[in-house]
Amino acid sequence: MVLTLVLAPLLVVALAGVLQLGALRVVAARVRAAADLAALVAVNDQDDAELARTGTLRLSADAVDVAREYFARELELSSPLLDGAADEIAAAADVAAYPSAPAYDARTGARYDRPAVRIAADVPVRTPVFGALVLRPVTTIHVLAVSSPR
Amino acid sequence: MPLLFSILEFGSALERWLAQDAATVQAARYAGELGGDAPELRRFLDDELRAAGIEPGRVSVEVAPSHVGWREPIRVSLSSSYPLTIPFLFSTTVPLHSSAISRGEVNR
Repeated sequence: MVLTLVLAPLLVVALAGVLQLGALRVVAARVRAAADLAALVAVNDQDDAELARTGTLRLSADAVDVAREYFARELELSSPLLDGAADEIAAAADVAAYPSAPAYDARTGARYDRPAVRIAADVPVRTPVFGALVLRPVTTIHVLAVSSPR
Repeated sequence: MPLLFSILEFGSALERWLAQDAATVQAARYAGELGGDAPELRRFLDDELRAAGIEPGRVSVEVAPSHVGWREPIRVSLSSSYPLTIPFLFSTTVPLHSSAISRGEVNR
C-alpha cells in the first residue's frame, strides 16, 4: 500500500511523458508529410511550354512560391499543435528550387541529377506536458524535404 | 494496472492516428492526380486503411471540393473514433481527425 502510494506519482509522471512523446511523434510525422507534399506539389507544376517545345522537364517559374504556399496550407491544418502561425513558419522556411540539373544544394551539399525543390524548416510545436515536467514547453522539429520529377 | 493499460491504449490510439494521417496524405495526392473525388480514390483509401488495420466503414471521408481544375487546391479529410478503455478508470472514444491538401493536376 505504502509502496503504491509512493510510486503512483512517479508512474503518473512517466505515463504523461510517454503520452507527450507519442503525441510529438504524431506531430513530427504530420510536419514531415506537410513538407513532402508541398515539395511534391511544387515539382508537379512543370513549365509546360518548355515540355512541349523540348520534351524537357523543367520547374515552373513560381515553384518556390507554390512550395511555400502549400507548406503553409498543410501546416494550417495542424495549427492547434504549432507554437506559431503556419504562414509565418512557412515564410521563415528555406525553400529553394533547382530548375536545371545537375545542381548542388548549398545547404546540404547534396547533388541533384534532376530539377528539384527543397524545403528546409524549423517548426516549433507545443509540448505542454514537457513544460509541466520542467522541460521545454516548445520543441522544434527540423524538416528537410526534397522532390524531383521523373 | 490502469497505468499499464493507459500506456498500451493511448499508444495504440496514437499508432492509429499516424496510420490514418499517412493514408490521408496519400489520398490527397491521389485526389489531385484524379482531379477530385472518384470511385478509384475511395477504393484506394479503403485499401490503405485496411492495410493499416483500420476498418474503412468506420471512417468518414470528405473531399472538398469534389472536383477541381488544374492547379486548384483540394482537401481530403478523414475522421474516425477510437474506443479507449482503461480498466477500473474509464471508457471513452477519442476523435481522430486527419486532413491534407494537394493540388489538381488534371487540365480539363
